[in-house]
Amino acid sequence: MTREKIIELVNSIFIEQFELSQEELTPDKKIFEDLGLDSLDIVDLITGLQRKFKIPLRQNEQIRQIRTLDDIYTLFEKLALENPDIAEKIIN
Amino acid sequence: MEKKRVVVTGAGVVSALGNRRDELFDSLAAGKSAARYMPEWQSFFGKINIAAAPVTLDQEAVKKIDRRFRRSMGNAALFAALAAKQAVAESGLDEATLSNGRTGCVISSTMGSSSSIVESTAAIIEKRFDDLSACQFFRCVSHSSSFNVANLFGISGVQLAPCSACASALQSIGLAFEQIQSGKQDVIIAGGSDEATPTVAGSFQQLFALAENENLPAEKLSRPFDAARCGLVCGEGAGILILEEYEHALKRGAVILAELAGYATNCTGAQISQSDHVSIEQCIRLAVADAGINPADIDYVSAHATSTLAGDKEEAEAIRRVFGAAVPVSSLKGHLGHTLGASGAIELAAIFEMMKHDTIISTLNLKNQADDCKGIFLPDKPCSKPLRTVVKNCIAFGGVNAVLVLRGYQRS
Repeated sequence: MTREKIIELVNSIFIEQFELSQEELTPDKKIFEDLGLDSLDIVDLITGLQRKFKIPLRQNEQIRQIRTLDDIYTLFEKLALENPDIAEKIIN
Repeated sequence: MEKKRVVVTGAGVVSALGNRRDELFDSLAAGKSAARYMPEWQSFFGKINIAAAPVTLDQEAVKKIDRRFRRSMGNAALFAALAAKQAVAESGLDEATLSNGRTGCVISSTMGSSSSIVESTAAIIEKRFDDLSACQFFRCVSHSSSFNVANLFGISGVQLAPCSACASALQSIGLAFEQIQSGKQDVIIAGGSDEATPTVAGSFQQLFALAENENLPAEKLSRPFDAARCGLVCGEGAGILILEEYEHALKRGAVILAELAGYATNCTGAQISQSDHVSIEQCIRLAVADAGINPADIDYVSAHATSTLAGDKEEAEAIRRVFGAAVPVSSLKGHLGHTLGASGAIELAAIFEMMKHDTIISTLNLKNQADDCKGIFLPDKPCSKPLRTVVKNCIAFGGVNAVLVLRGYQRS
């Protein structure tokens, strides 16, 4: 899966669930400070990412370390490499 | 300690007949009914002709509530938030007053957001855990409307939600009244909110309390005190009042809509599915006495009367015993359906307009006063009368009664 596709999928969650605009979603944005999410939103972010990428994440330690949008993109690049069938499972 | 006077300085409403108090009054005065058949409930009931009186939400107003507040609101809390915004705006309360710890929030509903409870239960049973938002629980809980409105306005005083099914709104207002009377709070955002859902309507249907008559159009089904009444029509919405200590309101130059003069609540202690005329009569007498007046001083009684066979009969008998046929009585359930935990507050919002216009809205669809509801005065059309003192009844499952006495504002 390409980085562009990962960015598209991750950003779609921020747009649909958190009502943010595409323009706000630059890689350097901090999820709490810049995008205004809080701890409850992070639960929904994890659920949204699970649904979108068909990967269980609730027990994933790395997801707890994300700080910026770029951290999410990079994590999913890594997860896509570890799970080569991920693209086939995704239903947009 | 002398009790403090409590006045109303704002009142908002979300209803099936208008999302503003004046719109609601105009619809009531025009004799409109909000009831319609609900084909969208067919999968639940197996037929299309179950009636309800649903709210049409103002989506532009919804969007104006920030997502961080909206995410934890089921429809009940959303209705309450929209009504509260109207009430707070009308009151002119500033942010400093709302957040100073002397302002509280007391709002309740039958069971939180009933639609959210159904969604959650279905998702859990079907193991669709990813469909459960982190905020789902906060939409379901019984005090959802109260804490959501408190958060929306930065309230840091008391937060309470005395849920008692269809008496919820009036008990909230009564409790808030007592909080201010005692000096514990200066201002309280108080009222009720509720949702019309197929699960709630189905619960009434199971008890033979839901109006069903295939020969009648939906708007004729809810007919309180009528000989042909056959049950209630579920409605929904919210009514939110700003209650304020009298001197506090005077000091800031607030416009006063009415004064709360007396309140009482009691229960039968004997019946879970209905109240009885003995306890309702007692509750009315206690509330009137709490206001320091006599039944003869009352200009109008706004009945609970939901159009059920047993409920209307018991309430009519209680009203007859207290007031005879001397005082005009009406129920707004013919227009609005039964808005459940919101009914007391929505109907109070309508009463403020009746007081303003010196007009009593009569009971819609009341054509032949039932024999078992005789002996009380039920006007058959809207009529003019100065309304200085008004009684509002609410009666609920659990055998619970609540009665509030309102007085037109008089400067001391």
